[in-house]
Amino acid sequence: MTDILENPENKNVEMNINSFKNANYSVSNQPISASTAFKQILKVWRKRYFSLFFGCILSLIALGFGLGLMCLAGGRIAMTALGIFAVSSILLKIMGVGRILMRYVERLYTHNAMFKALSDLRLWFFRQLAKGSASGLGFRHRGDVLSRLVSDIETLDGLYLRLLIPFIGSILTFFVFIGVVGYINPGLGLTIAALYSIGAFFLPLVTAFITREKGRSIIQGLAQLRIDIVDFLSGLREIRAFGAENRLQDTIETKEHFLFQKQQDQAFSVALMGVLAFLCGQLAMLCIFAAAFGLFFDKITPFQTVIALFLVLTGFENVIPLTKAGGLAGQILNAAIRIVGINEKCSIVPDGHEEAPLNTDIVFKNVGFRWSDEHQWIYRNLNFSIEQGSRIAILGASGAGKSTLAALILKVVLPVEGVIEFGQKDMTNLTNESIRKRIGWLSQDTHLFDDTIRENLLLGNSRATDEALWQALNEAAVADVVQAMPDGLDTWLGEGGVKVSGGQGRRIALARTLLSQAPVLLLDEPTTGLDADTEKEFFDILNRVAAHRTIILIMHRLTGVEKLDKIWRVANGQLTLEKQ
Amino acid sequence: MRDHKAQIKQWTRQQTRLARRYSIPIIILGLISSVIAVGLAWCAAELLARILITTKSMKMVGFYLAGFVILSILRSAVLFFQEILATKAGIKAKHQLRMSLIHSIMKIGPSVLHHQSSGILSSLMVDQIESLDGYFSRWMPASVLWVAAPLIILVFLTIVEPWLALIIGLCGLMVPIAQAIFGIGAAVAARKQFLAMTRLQARFLDRIKGIATIVLSGRTEDEAQKLLQSADELRRRTMRILRVAFLSSAAIDCAMVIAIILVSVTEGSQFVHHDSWNQISVIHALFALLLIPEFFAPLRSLALAYQDRARLNGTAESVLELPDVKAKQITAPTMLNVGTHAPEIVFDHVSFSWDEARGKAIDDISFDLKQGEILILSGKSGSGKSTIIEMLLGFIQPTAGEIRFNGVALPKIVPDALTKITTWIGQKPVIFAGTIRENILFAKPSASEEALQAALQAASIHPFLSSLPEGLDTRIGEGGYGLSGGQAQRIAIARAFLKNAPLLLLDEPTAHLDPETEKDIFETLKNLIHNRTVVLATHSTASQMFQGLRLDLHHGKLIAQTRVN
Repeated sequence: MTDILENPENKNVEMNINSFKNANYSVSNQPISASTAFKQILKVWRKRYFSLFFGCILSLIALGFGLGLMCLAGGRIAMTALGIFAVSSILLKIMGVGRILMRYVERLYTHNAMFKALSDLRLWFFRQLAKGSASGLGFRHRGDVLSRLVSDIETLDGLYLRLLIPFIGSILTFFVFIGVVGYINPGLGLTIAALYSIGAFFLPLVTAFITREKGRSIIQGLAQLRIDIVDFLSGLREIRAFGAENRLQDTIETKEHFLFQKQQDQAFSVALMGVLAFLCGQLAMLCIFAAAFGLFFDKITPFQTVIALFLVLTGFENVIPLTKAGGLAGQILNAAIRIVGINEKCSIVPDGHEEAPLNTDIVFKNVGFRWSDEHQWIYRNLNFSIEQGSRIAILGASGAGKSTLAALILKVVLPVEGVIEFGQKDMTNLTNESIRKRIGWLSQDTHLFDDTIRENLLLGNSRATDEALWQALNEAAVADVVQAMPDGLDTWLGEGGVKVSGGQGRRIALARTLLSQAPVLLLDEPTTGLDADTEKEFFDILNRVAAHRTIILIMHRLTGVEKLDKIWRVANGQLTLEKQ
Repeated sequence: MRDHKAQIKQWTRQQTRLARRYSIPIIILGLISSVIAVGLAWCAAELLARILITTKSMKMVGFYLAGFVILSILRSAVLFFQEILATKAGIKAKHQLRMSLIHSIMKIGPSVLHHQSSGILSSLMVDQIESLDGYFSRWMPASVLWVAAPLIILVFLTIVEPWLALIIGLCGLMVPIAQAIFGIGAAVAARKQFLAMTRLQARFLDRIKGIATIVLSGRTEDEAQKLLQSADELRRRTMRILRVAFLSSAAIDCAMVIAIILVSVTEGSQFVHHDSWNQISVIHALFALLLIPEFFAPLRSLALAYQDRARLNGTAESVLELPDVKAKQITAPTMLNVGTHAPEIVFDHVSFSWDEARGKAIDDISFDLKQGEILILSGKSGSGKSTIIEMLLGFIQPTAGEIRFNGVALPKIVPDALTKITTWIGQKPVIFAGTIRENILFAKPSASEEALQAALQAASIHPFLSSLPEGLDTRIGEGGYGLSGGQAQRIAIARAFLKNAPLLLLDEPTAHLDPETEKDIFETLKNLIHNRTVVLATHSTASQMFQGLRLDLHHGKLIAQTRVN
């Protein structure tokens, strides 16, 4: 994992993060409510309102054609049976063609509109995630974040396609019942509308209510299973080495069983409600028969009976699917909360509004820092400066606070006291992104992406030409290695760069950092995990290539080949100058 | 290519065969449901006839009303059990599939990650399998019912009114023809979409892992835009499938509408021209009209489930991309155990290559490691140290030469016996989600509290344990959040002490540690090494504190072999 905070000196970061009560940070410890979640999601979808609304209109038209078709067909038979000469079948054919066409158009349009809205949501989610992740994912599991980004967002398509659109349709149907059947016989109309409300509104609501808890546990169960499976895949060596195959399988089976149990529970409730909804429809038909024979209701004419009957038959068709969709409401609700709550329990450094200036002098003025009120001060009254173009090293034993210093410089955390100035400006007012563009960061945790070497390098500078890429590789002394690869720059690096050795991977990461043109390079233990020869080579390269840039080296010791202007040593929350 | 298709077919057929027996009761219930629907339509038609035709006697009204009520209740019961059984069938099939995948991956071992990223694999094992729910619970029953249920309805209709049965039957026949035309296109597109989805997911996972790198490079916006592009690409692909899939359901709509119009128009004319048929025909026409939605419902379920079928094919492709498991099963005439004491290990002209193009990772290496001796593998990263350890773990087999444990060739040893005598500590131990206690007991869950305490002592875990809020029961996350590299390594060492196996494999255990911590860890390891056969891969100079057989490797070749005693 690429957590800057996940370094030896911050053993208990998890506690630090959780007990963040610093006024500087917006830390949301309260769980997000459903309404907040939906408000946020609707805000993201604002620019899609029109197309989503238009989709609803299309679906209503399609529904209207469907209702009309069945009524006309039944009415026609009834009329001929009653000896009334039938009207021409033109209207019937128009209704038929209209229904087929409109349904096709409506489904395409609404699905497309929904998927666009989901893309918007994914984009928003990623930006949010990035805001809270300058220091890595922390206690959030990768698998869990992934399932929020992929399956939770996908679940939300049901909100529009399976809940909203059918719901709007059922409102139309409801008024058709009131209007048409109520016109024939007010008592019958009201009864049928009432039965319909039970089937189309009340039962789905009950289903939603019952399955809400279950939906949450289904999503959680799925996330739990995913965590275990990711553990299983990354721990294959450990599992074999300790003969834990059966145990791991048992664990996965237990999680799977839990998930299945919840799925079954939910299926039971949904099936039960579906059956009740079906019975509502049958009861409505029975009422019409009763009215036709003059039982319980005022008698209606045979022709009216047929119209009402076919209307009910078609109108109640969507009741069972609606009840099933009601079962999804719980899942959708929980998915929405999980999506919006991605940064729960995370500290987010507030963004500034000014671009970082060209001058890159970094000055610490009376800086004090601690993780929270309950924690000890890591720094107090810290004063030092890093002039533009200077090459300095900050040395210290494990746990002295070196990586906290890196976090402060990168604006991953803000000082509790005092000011850090970047180019004579208070860093708090500068935008996070502009600071990070000016400071190239490289550590042992720098992530190599499962992509081509080219794409990995372009992360440093998206506009770099091939020539520039080769030059950077050359400077980082890996050009020959890349050249020897069959696909050159287009060689796939594999997950975490598994296709190259550790040293080669680090040098590719260095090439990426060099490519960024950042005037300040912050190198946090860049050579950990490399053998002594490779380490010396690395610093040799650094001496040569980064002549005009500010270099901040954070190390526990020096190798002796680094060319440095100043060496600072961290101890007891202070920096002392070791060499001028 | 054809071979590949045949493989997919074979795999799907295998899964279908396994799951078939779960779907039989659902199919039977579906058929019963159709028969009840016929009864309901008949009752409704009889009632309507008595309402429409004034001359018809009002006898039997009570009978048909009662019939309507009873059949409605019966049908609701059938619908209920159909749903419940469908869920159960899906669950059983998913379980079977997931477990078989876990077994395959265990057999292949960690080298599976050389072929496939863990993102793709985890999405295969979680989401792809979950998404097959529909295949087993919906598609399998629907694939039988779409023929059987309409046929049953048609049989009843033929008995009543052959002419109407013919009209509806012909309209019904349009559906499979349209399905054949549109369905194939949809299946191909759906498979492509499924692959796109999996790739997108792997990309997401990788970006999430490296999110801090992205943020700290000031590249959030660029990556966000790229993500938007891939999400958009996914949407376009999905729409391409839906355009075809909706077309096939529009075809069903079309057939149904034609049937409705024809039935109402034909019978309508008949009433006018043949007054004598009036009485019977009106019941029949209404009966037919009421049955049309029932007749087309199974066809529609099949159309809806068509995507589910494509999903199975998509999964089949992902599964078949895994390296062939069968090829790795070695059939030895006799499987042998090795003793429980420290083994002697011999490498006899061993070579290994991951693939032909990349050359040999290990090139003709021979050595003889005595019982209780230490083997130090030294060399730069990429020189083949880890490959030798992977071989000793049994994850990969030499492409040439032979490895012997106590004189027994490695392939002939029962894998469990090998596991029992070996302990392994790698560069970055995997810390499972759970407490520290759980993570250490992972090595031996049956260990007593005393044994656990002894292991903690031996691995010097106590000093940092006391700084943790809940001591041994502190939760550590995926990747060991909150633990430093040295601390994580101590957990691995405690595991090794707990397991107490006679062969110890150490794969660069200090690679990610600073020199002070490295020295501490080596000191701790010294206790562990006692009385065991040890293989230590390292590039650290600190390893000179160990004495034994030293191999210097360079690009997979042995360049020096020295024995220090």
